[in-house]
Amino acid sequence: MASILLYVLSIVFISFLSFKSGIKPDVWCALFWIVLFFAAINAASKSFFTESKARGIYNYTLYHPTEFVISKIVYNILLLWVVCLCSVLCFSWMINYPVQNTLLFIMALLLGSTALAGSLTLMSCIASKTGNSYSVMSLLSMPVCIPVMLLSLRLTKNAIDGLEWSVSYKYLGGLFFIDLIIITLSLFLFRYLWKE
Amino acid sequence: MIKNWWWKIGAIALVLYSIAMGFLGNVPRLNILNETIRNLYFHVPLWFAMLVQMGISWVFALMYLNGYKIKYDILSSRAAYVGGMFALPGVITGSIWATYTWGKPWVADDPKLQGVMAAMIVYFVYYLLRALIPDAQTKARISAVYNIFAFIMTFVFIMIYPRLAPNSLHPGNGGNPAFGKYDMDNMMRLVFYPACIGWILMSVWLLTVLNRMKKLQYNLDNDEEEI
Amino acid sequence: MRKKFNLIMSRFDDLEMKRLLFFNFAFLILNSFGFAQQTSIEDAPQMADSFRADGKIYVVVLVLSVVFACLATYLIIIDRKISKLERRIAETKLNNKIAEVK
Repeated sequence: MASILLYVLSIVFISFLSFKSGIKPDVWCALFWIVLFFAAINAASKSFFTESKARGIYNYTLYHPTEFVISKIVYNILLLWVVCLCSVLCFSWMINYPVQNTLLFIMALLLGSTALAGSLTLMSCIASKTGNSYSVMSLLSMPVCIPVMLLSLRLTKNAIDGLEWSVSYKYLGGLFFIDLIIITLSLFLFRYLWKE
Repeated sequence: MIKNWWWKIGAIALVLYSIAMGFLGNVPRLNILNETIRNLYFHVPLWFAMLVQMGISWVFALMYLNGYKIKYDILSSRAAYVGGMFALPGVITGSIWATYTWGKPWVADDPKLQGVMAAMIVYFVYYLLRALIPDAQTKARISAVYNIFAFIMTFVFIMIYPRLAPNSLHPGNGGNPAFGKYDMDNMMRLVFYPACIGWILMSVWLLTVLNRMKKLQYNLDNDEEEI
Repeated sequence: MRKKFNLIMSRFDDLEMKRLLFFNFAFLILNSFGFAQQTSIEDAPQMADSFRADGKIYVVVLVLSVVFACLATYLIIIDRKISKLERRIAETKLNNKIAEVK
């Protein structure tokens, strides 16, 4: 947890230093989501990579797979929400806070990070089975996260520009839909990874 | 003779027909496209073949997860490879076509191109995953799970997202009329449909060949079980 | 015996991969031929009518057909080799079973 926050802080600091002439709102938007994406990968990878064999067998014998993965996903979602909050604080402290429609921004954050957490939990489980963990983890998570990032970026952009709510409805709906799909798929597919 | 020769020879015949009639037949005269509209007979069937292969791969991944029979996993992975083998010339031919019609080989804001790029990354990661896991059973299980995700993502990226996007250069997506408007019902359909079927059958033939090879290898390596 | 089979199999893999690479490049190069004659856009869309009038279009068709025929023949050859191998393996297994029974 502390490592993730340190990571976010250092990246924000570096980006603050590198943008001498200030950061425009759409750059802020993109930068924020990139930082969040990598922080999310870090956070989610911790959930399966630190499992030793003994504990894995312990979990296997005691818990039903669906309960296990629900608990992991919920933990990752909450962790990511906290990371989101801290990133926003870091950004607004070091750079600026250009968001005009805060409620929309918060909804975008929550929905987007939920989708990220759900998909990344499954991907970290897959990646922990292969040898070279971190590179595979980021590669695996990238294609799954592309639509989530696209929608979240558009929503955040709308929030920054202060556009009215009706413009963002379809993006919100899309993100919510993707959340549902990803979490259902993760729940469904985890059973097959359980044996390992 | 070769096994099941009738549809294989049929596939060759259909593709040869599409090559011949593709150049000898009449095509509608359009600005910007001019003669390059004939590329329709080559570029689009490759993508259809890829989609069919990825669909086959998906179905067999599901079947593998049902019963854990390794023969389904072999078929599923070969189908994914063949799909990738058809996606590569599809992208290259599309790029060549774009250089002469859209001005540059890769256009930044066309949603179908973005979708295609995302889909190819998805499957490259699938190949990487299969290459990295040493144990056969684990590899099969994990790549089957990823395959299910991958095909859904691919389908959304290639078919659904471009149609919803506001503006696109491809016909049929993003506000452009589909190729049906370009006189497809008269002259081009006669060559286009056989070309599609021919290339899809060619891809299936390639799949059966690769599948049989892999099965032979597997049977020879493992004496205990026979698939 | 098995090592020999494995060797043959690995040779097939190489050939298959090389064939596919060649296929891709051939496709790439040959597809560019058909469009090279397109230069400017006039009032009516300019097409390759002169090409077809001269009978040169048959050259294009012939070239592409030859390339495709080569690839198809290669596929047929590989298909036949696999069928032969399958038959041989099945025969060997049958002979082994008969020998065991005896």
